[in-house]
Order: sequence, then structure tokens, then C-alpha cells
Amino acid sequence: MFSLKNVRFKDIIRYPDIQIQQNRITFICGESGYGKSTLLKLLSGAVSPDAGEVFYNDKPNADYDPILLRREVLLCGQSAFLFDSSIRKNFEQYYSYRDLPAISPEQMQMYLKICAIDISLDTPCTTMSGGERHRVFIAICLSLRPKVLLLDEPTSALDDMTANTVLTNIRLFCREHKITLIIVSHNTALVQSYADDTITLSNNTCEKGTA
Amino acid sequence: MNEIVSLNIGQFALIYLLLIVVLIIMKKCQISQTKLLFVASLRMTVQLVLAGLVLTYIIQNPHPIFTISYLLLITGFAIYMVLSRNKDINRRFKVIVAVSLASTGLSIVAFFIMIVVGVSLFNPQYTIPISGMIIGNAMTGVSLGLKTFNENIRAQRARIDSLLNIGATPKKILIPFVNQALETALLPTLYAMVGMGIIALPGMMTGQILSGTSPMTAILYQIAIIISICAVTCLSVFCSLYFGYRTLYNNKQQIQI
Repeated sequence: MFSLKNVRFKDIIRYPDIQIQQNRITFICGESGYGKSTLLKLLSGAVSPDAGEVFYNDKPNADYDPILLRREVLLCGQSAFLFDSSIRKNFEQYYSYRDLPAISPEQMQMYLKICAIDISLDTPCTTMSGGERHRVFIAICLSLRPKVLLLDEPTSALDDMTANTVLTNIRLFCREHKITLIIVSHNTALVQSYADDTITLSNNTCEKGTA
Repeated sequence: MNEIVSLNIGQFALIYLLLIVVLIIMKKCQISQTKLLFVASLRMTVQLVLAGLVLTYIIQNPHPIFTISYLLLITGFAIYMVLSRNKDINRRFKVIVAVSLASTGLSIVAFFIMIVVGVSLFNPQYTIPISGMIIGNAMTGVSLGLKTFNENIRAQRARIDSLLNIGATPKKILIPFVNQALETALLPTLYAMVGMGIIALPGMMTGQILSGTSPMTAILYQIAIIISICAVTCLSVFCSLYFGYRTLYNNKQQIQI
């Protein structure tokens, strides 16, 4: 689905040639500073490589309409931004930014439940914890139903039990709806439990593993 | 109408006593800006004396070249002031700000002088004071608008990134920042309009009344200038930001702040 050829970013990061398969859960691991988050940005076209090329479905990323590509390959970043309003209003605002009609409150609840959030839609996001806010943001991203969902450290603010619940639910949902998942995570236990494939980035090398 | 009492140097010097009061209070409150008080007072005095001498010469010897030079000089200075206060915008944005400020400022000046007052644009008695007020206010407005816009997009980087990543267009993401900055830039003028005539008589009107003009004529001029200031602030900030924000993203729809 994705492949990287001789990709370099800002002369700091040089990526090995990577292949990522469709309809699988690929974890990207490695120490800080080896470009895990940047790799997700390269895949979604949020940034462009300074050399080499990223291919999505055998076509260079640069040949896609950047906005349509980002809607199809959706990056759920680490800095989960929520508007200072209720959960419901946040869904509505994100949908209006995408020029889409908002989904029903029942559907909103369903996506929140996938992310282990079981509170009223009228809860103001300003009163929620960092972990809850991140999960609401993931729920919004998931509800937009991309073909590929890129999650950057989705469980960093969660305890192990919640992290497992969230990932189990997301894996189930993505399998059902044929969404390819690419996840950056430091948590080796989660990688072992949920990864179909792993890519470990280190200094100029890449280790691949298949579960 | 009575003619204005000309101030002699002795009388005039008395007003500087008020600065000593300011100095004493600043010292007492340990405000470390006493140097600025001296510099500001000195600069203000020297600059205004020089301006008075230049204006006296130009009004007594009216020539289009003087008026045009004056207009170009203040427009250039206004652009320089705005850009020097907002250094971290890109080169294309700077060009747009300069063109917006110059074109909207000079258009409103031309409209006011040639159509509303109905005199030649080269008449220094009208063009010089009125263009100063209009372009000066455009400068303040654009400066405030740009500062607000820049601060907000930098402070809300997470919002911009998140919206970009979910596939919102840069236009849709940045327009709310443009609107908010325009509102911030317009508010001081709008608030000033609300209190005008009750809290204080505005400067131009005060000057005209002091020099013997009928208060009703002074009021008409004042209303006209305030509306022009409101319009020039709105137009110059709108054009600067509305055309300028497009320089923040490339054809790959990546926003570079």
C-alpha cells in the first residue's frame, strides 16, 4: 500500500526503503529522534520529503490532490486539539471543517465507546483529562472513516488497561471496515499484542517483523 | 469667531512643567522608563518643530511635487513601521502588506480630498493633514491586525496541524484567524466612535475650533475623517490579511508558519 524509496527529510533523517501492507496493523517503533512521527507525516503528505519518493497505491504521493490524500490517509497526531466546547460541538466543528454534515449523537456515542469514553456528549472538553481528550480526538478521527488511519502515540496518556481496551476496539472496528492502521508507539507490550507487522527505525537501518 | 491666541515661547515652555510631574511619579513608582520619557519628549518636540517648518514652507509655496513627495514619504514610513514591528512574516506577505497599505490609504485620501472636500489632491493645506491622519490610522490598524494574526496562528499551531491532518483546506483553517485579527484591529476605532463627542472632542475638531472655524463645520470634517479612518482601517487590514494569508501555504497545501 505504501512504499518509501530513498526518502530523506531535511538532511537529518534518511529512511530505509519501507513497505507497508494494506488492511493490516503496522506498528512503527524505535528510539526518539529517528523520525517515527515524521514518517506518519510523510505518508499523509503533511510534509514532503527533501529527496526520494513516498508511494501510495503505487502512485507517488506528490501526484495526489493533497487534501484528498489527507482525507484518505488521516493522521491523528500527538497534539490532539479540541475546541473549547462540548464533545458534541467538537464533532460538529470538525465535520464542518471537512464540509460534511455532522453524524447523529448515537453514532458519536458509538465512536466514543470504541475509544472507551462513556460520558455525556454535552461534557465540556475543557474539564476532561489529557487522556480523555486524546481519546475523544481519536474517536473524531475514526468517525471520519479514512482508508488509512495513522495514530501517533495513541496510548501515551493511558493506563495499560484502558490502552488495551482502546486498541482492541479500534483493531476490531478497523478490521470490520477494512481500515489500514499504522501506529507509532513506544509501548513494547502493546506492539507485541496488536502488531501484524512492525517497522523498527534506527540509525539508517530498518528491521521488519511480522507477527 | 475669535482668532487663536498665538503662544509665545515663555508661555509655551510652561507646558513642559507637566512632564516634570510625570517624571516625579515615574521615579516614585520605580518605573525604569525615565530615559524613554526624555527621548520621547525630545523626539516629539524636534520632529514636530521640523514638521512645522516644512509645512510652513510647503503651504506658503504650494507645488504638486511637494505634496506628492509628502504623500510618498508618509506612506513609505507607514509601511516601514508596520513591517519593522512584524518582522517574522514571509517576503511575499510583506509585499502584500505594503501594496495594501499604500493602495487603500492613498485611495481613501484621494476620495476624501477630491470628491468629499472637492479640492485638488495637490492642495497641501488639505492633503497633508488629512493624509497624515488617514495613513497613520491605517498603519496602526494593519500593525495591530498583523500582530494579532501572527500571534494567534503561532499560539494555535496544534489546532492548525490537527485540522490540516484531518483534511481541512488551509483556506478554511486560516480564514477564522483573518476574521479575528480584522475584528481586533477595528475595535479601537469603533470604541472611539462610540465615545466621541461625549468623552472628548477629537483632535482635529479641537484644532479647527481653536483656530476659529465654526464648530458645525469642524464637526462635519470630524465625522468625515472618522468614517474615513474606520474605512481605511477596515480596508487596509482586510486586504493585507486576506491576500497575505495565502502566502502561508504552498501548492501541496502545507502551511508554513
